[in-house]
Amino acid sequence: MAEITTLALNGLAWGLIVALIALGLSVIFGLLDVINVAHGDFFMVGTVLAWVAVDATGSFAVALVLVPILGLLLGALTERIAIRPVLSTIVLTVVSTHGLGILMQEGVRATFGATPRRLVAPVGGTITLPGDVQYDVYRLVAAGAAALALLAFFAFQQRTRFGTWMRAVRHDRETATTLGIPVARVQLLTFSIGAGLALLGGVIAAPITTVDFRAGIEILPTCFMAVVVGGLGNLPGTAAAAVLLAVTEGVVSAFLDPSAARIVSLCLMCAVLFLRPHGLFAGARA
Amino acid sequence: MSALAVNRGLTALLLALLMVAPWLLAWMESEFWLTVLTEILIWGLFAASANLLFGQVGLLSFGQALYFGFGMYGVAIGIDRFGLGLWPAMGLGVAAAIVMAACAGVVAVRLTWHYFAIITVVFSLIFYFLALRLKPITGGDDGLSFAAPAIMDLGGLRLSLTDDATQYWFVLLIVALAFAVQARLRSSALGRAFAAVREGERKAALLGIDVLRVRWIAFVIAGGLAGLAGALFALYGRYASATHMYYTVSGEAVVWTVLGGAGTLLGPPIGAALLILVREELSGIWEHYPLIVGALTIAVVVFAPKGIAGGWNALLARVTGR
Repeated sequence: MAEITTLALNGLAWGLIVALIALGLSVIFGLLDVINVAHGDFFMVGTVLAWVAVDATGSFAVALVLVPILGLLLGALTERIAIRPVLSTIVLTVVSTHGLGILMQEGVRATFGATPRRLVAPVGGTITLPGDVQYDVYRLVAAGAAALALLAFFAFQQRTRFGTWMRAVRHDRETATTLGIPVARVQLLTFSIGAGLALLGGVIAAPITTVDFRAGIEILPTCFMAVVVGGLGNLPGTAAAAVLLAVTEGVVSAFLDPSAARIVSLCLMCAVLFLRPHGLFAGARA
Repeated sequence: MSALAVNRGLTALLLALLMVAPWLLAWMESEFWLTVLTEILIWGLFAASANLLFGQVGLLSFGQALYFGFGMYGVAIGIDRFGLGLWPAMGLGVAAAIVMAACAGVVAVRLTWHYFAIITVVFSLIFYFLALRLKPITGGDDGLSFAAPAIMDLGGLRLSLTDDATQYWFVLLIVALAFAVQARLRSSALGRAFAAVREGERKAALLGIDVLRVRWIAFVIAGGLAGLAGALFALYGRYASATHMYYTVSGEAVVWTVLGGAGTLLGPPIGAALLILVREELSGIWEHYPLIVGALTIAVVVFAPKGIAGGWNALLARVTGR
């Protein structure tokens, strides 16, 4: 029983981090119609920059503040160079972001190196939870941080003028233009924020995963699945689906080995896509 | 001269050059490029399977590596486990890919766009993880290696893949035939039905086209093409492994297709040739050559959104005044 609790909690923590990353993907997709296949690599760059920042300053807090800001800048830069020129056609965005992903992977391999590294958690030790479960403190902190960031994002979107613009452009780009909303600027900042969320996810995840230039390729399908299962354009749905997928996989891995658990969760995905092609939460929204 | 005549002439010239390439390269003393050319032909055929779905029917698949993998394992298992000859093993590989595509297609073609893209990825990931797990059948992480049987063995005449030139001509023959079939398909009634479905499924349905059936047929043909490419690749490397079933391999097919020119017959192999030649040319000079590949990929879609073949056709239309 204790083992299942641990694995379910692992799933929850990981799911909340994936939710953060997938949210970035979903925002970019919903607002710009861009299928960003480099999104996993933005996450990977986040883990690498976190490692570098901690290595240089010895402080995880510096990484936590600095890396997402770098992410915003990186996002803005790439939007201008690789996204804006191809915005008219969705399949071109796939190829363009694929090129971007190669640049980021190889850029990291050329500078940081190809050897996977580990980042020591800023808070170590375990805590005893009810039911006599020993659990890593950092994982709980990571889950809390990711949840907080999710809430902050939703508050930003609901409460600020820029957030309202984002929702308006996502809903109807032409009308938004007519109303005088600076659509191009909203698109730029949206891509920026999406990338920033991925890098933030990278910082939070760095101590519980390996820092490796290939990490983006591995996480990308999971993020896309969360976006699709949650319902395209449904941001809370994306977050919920990410958590649900990760917890399911965590619990299943108590009974089967990890790769079998992955197969089970993929089969569940198929069932969801087939039975509820517009996402798990489509009914709740309509 | 019309644009069509120019393109036909160029295609004939290309085919002639490809046919004499082994002698040409031997004369230039750069036989190494013959194996590169063989690989380009195989990956060009693989890219054509993504192009058939996206360029002709409008379905963006990120799962073609699944059928490539079935073709690959079909050949490897056929030769290694069942002791089949080369042709029966290829038949087994292609048949396995077609059967898999026929089953997966029933589910996949009901979805479109992003949903179609994601379900094709999901299918291919399921079988990727299965291939890693089912070690007794697939060899798991290590893959399966085997000794390729002869292409034909008629008493005195024995053709074998161990000779690079023979292997090249064997691959060229099959790839050229596959492209000839695709060219015929484009001008057939089915090819026009594909285009009708791509341009608007509602209109196509009003014209009496059974949209789901047409999509399913395209899906199965594309699976067969990918399977054939996988079968050739297994013979070329005498090896099959799950790495070539991962979703990134499917992504390459889409990238090659778009870079070369989606919807055109020869765009996908042109795109594959571009990136593979860049890789072979640069990988020996600079370890971090993928930086150039990434930048080139972005540059092509930014400056030639219709791909190389699409850009060429537009240029040709301007010159010939059409």
